[in-house]
Amino acid sequence: MPLFPIHRIRALLLLAAAAAACLYAGKEFRKMNAPDTILPGQGVSRIRALKDYFPNLEGTRSDSAVYFLESGRPGPTVLVLGGTHPNEPAGFLAAVALVESLRVKAGRLIVVPQACQSGFTCTDPLEGYPQSYSLRSRSRLRTFRFGSRAANPVEDWPDPIIYRHFPSGQQLSGNETRNLNRAYPGKSDGTTTEKTAFAIMKLIRDEKVNLAFDLHEAAPEIPIINAIVTHEKGRELAAGALLGLELENLPYALELSPPNFHGLSHREWGDGTPAIPFLLETTNPVQGRLRGRTGASLAVDGQDRQYRLAQESGRMRITYDAGGEPLARRVGRHLRAIQAVLETYNELHPEGRVELEGIPSYEEIIRNGVGSLLQ
Amino acid sequence: MANEPVVLAVMLAVFTAAVFVWKLPSGLALVLSAAAGALTAGEGLPVRHLVEGSFGYLDAVLIIATAMVLMKVVEAGGALGTISYGLMKWLYRWPSLLMIFVAFFVMFPGMLTGLSSACILTTGALVAPALQALGIPAASVGSLIAFLAVLGMVAPPINIPVMIIGGGVDMPYVGFDKPLLLATFPIAILTALYYRYRYVRTIVLEQVLSKLPPSLYVRHGMKLFLPLGLVVALMLSIRLFPQWVPDIGIPLIFMLGAVAGIFTGERFRFWPVARQGIREALPVMGILVGVGMFVQIMTLTGVRGFLAVGALQLPPALLCLGIALLMPAFGSAYAASSVLGVPLVYVFLGKNEIVIASALSLIAGIGDLMPPPMLLCSFAAQIVGEKNPWRILKECLPMILVSLLVGIAMILLADKVARLY
Repeated sequence: MPLFPIHRIRALLLLAAAAAACLYAGKEFRKMNAPDTILPGQGVSRIRALKDYFPNLEGTRSDSAVYFLESGRPGPTVLVLGGTHPNEPAGFLAAVALVESLRVKAGRLIVVPQACQSGFTCTDPLEGYPQSYSLRSRSRLRTFRFGSRAANPVEDWPDPIIYRHFPSGQQLSGNETRNLNRAYPGKSDGTTTEKTAFAIMKLIRDEKVNLAFDLHEAAPEIPIINAIVTHEKGRELAAGALLGLELENLPYALELSPPNFHGLSHREWGDGTPAIPFLLETTNPVQGRLRGRTGASLAVDGQDRQYRLAQESGRMRITYDAGGEPLARRVGRHLRAIQAVLETYNELHPEGRVELEGIPSYEEIIRNGVGSLLQ
Repeated sequence: MANEPVVLAVMLAVFTAAVFVWKLPSGLALVLSAAAGALTAGEGLPVRHLVEGSFGYLDAVLIIATAMVLMKVVEAGGALGTISYGLMKWLYRWPSLLMIFVAFFVMFPGMLTGLSSACILTTGALVAPALQALGIPAASVGSLIAFLAVLGMVAPPINIPVMIIGGGVDMPYVGFDKPLLLATFPIAILTALYYRYRYVRTIVLEQVLSKLPPSLYVRHGMKLFLPLGLVVALMLSIRLFPQWVPDIGIPLIFMLGAVAGIFTGERFRFWPVARQGIREALPVMGILVGVGMFVQIMTLTGVRGFLAVGALQLPPALLCLGIALLMPAFGSAYAASSVLGVPLVYVFLGKNEIVIASALSLIAGIGDLMPPPMLLCSFAAQIVGEKNPWRILKECLPMILVSLLVGIAMILLADKVARLY
């Protein structure tokens, strides 16, 4: 028998090719550990981190920056959370825009642009997602990571087959274990995601947050889209905001948080803290199941032929504009909806107002692009 | 840069040529077809996507590897043969009862874990020698356990495809037990009886037992079943007492069972046995790695969306036919549930969504049998020693047809089905 029979040479060549592919891909994956650059604007008075509220997060992938925009004048405390799902870029970028451009004239704003920081360090296998996307800001080309819906599996691998929500015991599929928006109120000795949720709950309590926003996006086929989802105690504020948005030709749906679906921010923040929670949804084709070619341009431009075809079929409700759903529109909607809720709050609470400055109008954002909100 | 139908055609053509002309293993054929699809779509050779896709089913790969080690240990220790022997000895007088018992026995791990592959690799492997000893041809035994594995995955209490659909439409996993029971148990009984009347006549005990390895119960007693008992006890206690028993994961449970098996039966050398198990599992694990790359490239190039929207565009009269053909065509229950299951719940909005999701999970479950991966058929072929997994798929066709009809009927009559319980 020859020393190197052909099947052995073939096997060695295949192994070498697999090793080379893994080395190359490994380098690509590790690039996602580099943090995104967020440039705090003049309105930012101090920066803390989630570990300040729950020290167990120190040194982990889940620790994340918390930006304070304080007026020094009395008023309510408002929390804005972006990046709960890092594959929903409009929520993240709207929060970054607040950090980089907003000034608070009364009350104070706390912004966590990357609530699930761990999810920004990977993408979801089988989804074909880009690792990043770029935008031209006021001064340069800015590149941001496009992450995974859930936290990095490296944190608590492997997922259990069934995820049991704490404390309700509600069962969901195992991969939801790493979904921050199924983990509230969290658990101090739980999984990494439960610890992150625990830290955010503690932040809300410690900082005496009055109003809290969780910014999301959803696939165009999901019925709860271009919507404000709120707890029972936020119904009046959301209804008032909806009216204002309707008058500006920005239709929104009002959805009440289902009392029997646990783990979601709008349910658990509302039940477990004094804050009034709002979850905002825009339409995002890149995370939809019917999408066509997947890439950075779909994340930014939101143009997808398959969604147009699905809409034309009339078979189901698809919230998709035939011209596309660009990031500017989605970020603009988030920012406008936050303002609308706060304006309603100010009307109802003239004694303790929150006043913001520096956010362009929705039309200006559409005209000038998302980059115009970034330094 | 080609459009989606062209990319899909190239991917399928390369896969077919690789398997049937170049005689490559299915796993490698899937890798080649994924690479060809990416090149055709103008994506170049997207190494990062290919590697990322290969990790898509990593957990399943680990389960398969450890299950094969467990089964080889149980076989070497003598428990496998003893169980087959005992099954025959106790139930040979009542062939119908025997086959129904075998059906639910095979389904049990899938009901508990939500994994179809667990059925074939554990209980399926346990009963396969007994069924072959009854005179059922190898391909038919393979088809029986492969099909029952699908039913095990769909049957309550744990159904992962429904959980995936529920996750996409914000529907908690509550109230599914009865519709899933309705969707699976009658088919399981029908399947058992179909095989019983097709293949099993009168059972001559001596003849059957002579084809099976001898029982080692007298020599080792109940100790022989300790590894399997440990596995079942751990799986059950994790489900029943989650507050006290941590979920250590199926692979670790199987490995604990395998380690226990070293001390509970006949003496054997662990490493060669474990190595043999991994060696036998390699082709199937290769398929899973290849399927991951295939699905990732389908998504990247828009082929996945093209197929999903194609199904939605079908005229109403053809929609159910489209669901029955396209959902299984995804070749994976999980992929079909995620890509088509979620939108289809919205298509049927207004009907009882619990029944709809249950029915869709039954139809999606068939995907685990279908090409290109033919995952369960390949597993079953491995277990029964059949070289051609296509023969197993062919034998499954009558029961696949019945399941699709039941699934479609449940969709069309969802509200009436809901009133049954």
